[in-house]
Amino acid sequence: MMRPSLAIALRSLRRNRLQTGLTVLGMTIGVAAVLAMIAIGTGAESAIEDQIRAAGMNLIIVTAGNYKVKSTDDFGGGAVEPSAALRLLDWFMPPLLAHPEDDPMEKHDHPTARQRLGDSEAGLGSAATLTSADADAIRRLPGVQYVAEGLHQNVHVKAGEKRWFTRLHGADVRLPLIRRAWVFTRGRFFNEREQRRADQVMVLGTIAVEHLYGNADPVGRDVIMWNQTFRIVGVVDTTSTLVAPAPGDDQFDAVYVPFKTVHSLLNLTKLNDITITAASTGDVSRVMTDVTKLLRQRHGIGDEKPDDFTVTTQARQALARGGLRPDVARAVVGNVGGLEKVTLEQLGRTLDRATRTMTALLAGIAAVSLIVGGIGIMNIMLLSVTERTREIGIRRAVGARARDVRAQFVAEALTLSVSGGFIGVALGVVASMTLGRYLRWSTTFSPGAVLLAVGVAAAVGIFFGWYPAKQAAAVDPIQSLRYE
Amino acid sequence: MSAGATALIAVRDLTKTYAMQGSAVQALRGVSLDIERGEFVAVVGPSGSGKSTFMHILGCLDRPTSGRYVLDGRDVSDLGDDELSAIRNRQIGFVFQGFNLLARTSAVENVELPLLYAHDRRVSASERRTRALRALAAVGLEDRAEHHPNQLSGGQQQRVAIARALLNDPAILLADEPTGNLDSRTSIEVMDIFQRLRDERGITIVLITHEPQVAEYGSRIIRFRDGQIVADERNVSRRASEEIRIVAANGASR
Repeated sequence: MMRPSLAIALRSLRRNRLQTGLTVLGMTIGVAAVLAMIAIGTGAESAIEDQIRAAGMNLIIVTAGNYKVKSTDDFGGGAVEPSAALRLLDWFMPPLLAHPEDDPMEKHDHPTARQRLGDSEAGLGSAATLTSADADAIRRLPGVQYVAEGLHQNVHVKAGEKRWFTRLHGADVRLPLIRRAWVFTRGRFFNEREQRRADQVMVLGTIAVEHLYGNADPVGRDVIMWNQTFRIVGVVDTTSTLVAPAPGDDQFDAVYVPFKTVHSLLNLTKLNDITITAASTGDVSRVMTDVTKLLRQRHGIGDEKPDDFTVTTQARQALARGGLRPDVARAVVGNVGGLEKVTLEQLGRTLDRATRTMTALLAGIAAVSLIVGGIGIMNIMLLSVTERTREIGIRRAVGARARDVRAQFVAEALTLSVSGGFIGVALGVVASMTLGRYLRWSTTFSPGAVLLAVGVAAAVGIFFGWYPAKQAAAVDPIQSLRYE
Repeated sequence: MSAGATALIAVRDLTKTYAMQGSAVQALRGVSLDIERGEFVAVVGPSGSGKSTFMHILGCLDRPTSGRYVLDGRDVSDLGDDELSAIRNRQIGFVFQGFNLLARTSAVENVELPLLYAHDRRVSASERRTRALRALAAVGLEDRAEHHPNQLSGGQQQRVAIARALLNDPAILLADEPTGNLDSRTSIEVMDIFQRLRDERGITIVLITHEPQVAEYGSRIIRFRDGQIVADERNVSRRASEEIRIVAANGASR
């Protein structure tokens, strides 16, 4: 019965093109607004998720050494940030006065593999217990997404007359895959080939660039470190608004060189740490356990002996260090009992709650605009019933049942709302993409959202078309045929 | 009932009362009548005599307040909307004074309309079109199929309406002042179509008019007054086809 009604409805809608068009327009705007809201809303959600992930919620860090064994002391000497005082000192120091680390030919006394176990109680990160072979073994574990070797030093970098005391990261080419918020404002990261050949190439963090070159483009220029020349291939910045680059931070007041280059120049084999991402955030704990087991086995550590490395998550470090934007950190911390108890699940739950609030808000806006669209349809349909009583009478005279007339008017309302829905989807996609570009906000479209928008439009059509259709079915054919 | 057992239409003691502004208006006050297959009945009477109400009941657009209406052996006095709609669709064709065609709709689509509501059988779109075109051809309008009502003359519109009424091969054609909006020459043409339908297909025609000349085309003339039948007589039909020939001959000689 529905198919002939639809055919009849389409035919009569075609007869009143302008009216049909205007009514569809009302619905279109409603659905477009809904879809744009959903897109921008989920975009906001995924932006927050991205930023938290950028802050490293699925990061696992294996650091050489085990500071927990020795005492409850503070962190060992390995990971000290360059302090403000050191920087100030650096300012006044004449450039001629070479830093001891500037000499690459200095003999570094690093232990051999056999000596490692005895070294296990050394300060965090400075112990020479991790190697590239460990990193390669971790790469083969299931659930592991990316693995990046890390070597860290404090260095003086010279560009012409300018010097800057900053952090050097001997890094792996995969690091940009892990640092999801990274963006190369100029140039690129070093590549596989440069890393393999231990080329003297360098990527600068924005803060380092600011101090060494100001606003000039440093790519292709040479920079001096350890009395060696390095060619600059890129500048790294962040898209994250949660972690803004600042002097003294570890990522952007820093320079990056292939770890193999550091190894060959300093005649080293050790790594300070290995950074790992779990393929899924829910898998972090399991991957941590697997990594611990693997390394204990590789390092030949007996059951009674403590680890010669430390496995931790970036989430824990970030929260403890305050790497998150204060308001976000406050929200996260405020929602859990104490910092120590923060787990990924709890963080997830906090995020979930924020998401739900946003969804409720969007649903409210969607409901209002759809009701307005629906009232528009009801209005036009009621008008249509009074205008078309004669048509209804004719149809009744040739054999249309009351319910045929009702079905026709419901089908018309449905056609109006659903076609409005489809056009609205198209318009919504365009509108939110434009808005997204303008606001630099990522927008996401799921087929679910599109289906939902069209489905809700259909429901609105039936709901608001029902009463006018009932009125149409109740028209007395005798009276309507008498109209001249 | 015995008298009407074989009649196509048999009504007994029909009454119809309308409530109008608090007071009851009796439109029909006990009408009994048999109409046999193939009759051409002209119903005449002044306005308010109840002839239109009578026709609405005959056409299953309305139900009597009391009395019985047996159509083709089936008592239809108390049927529901679905059944009455089906009867209108299958057994009755309507022709109105105001043509009652759907505006902004081509002639052929107007003619197709009854088939859209033929719920007892599936009719494909192409078959609908074929049958509608055939019906248009029967009233001589095959070349106007795509014209909209406002592009057709009154006579042509009425012929489209007749084609629509005939589409489902109804047993009865009900015509309510079909010539009221037409000039005399076109009126004769329409009456000629009616007479041919009766002669060739045996369709029963009930025609309401207040023009005595038009009533003369019927084989039986029934007079209404104050909701009752006051006269019911046989009539020797005027032949519209002959009048057309005379008019044509006059036109040719002139």
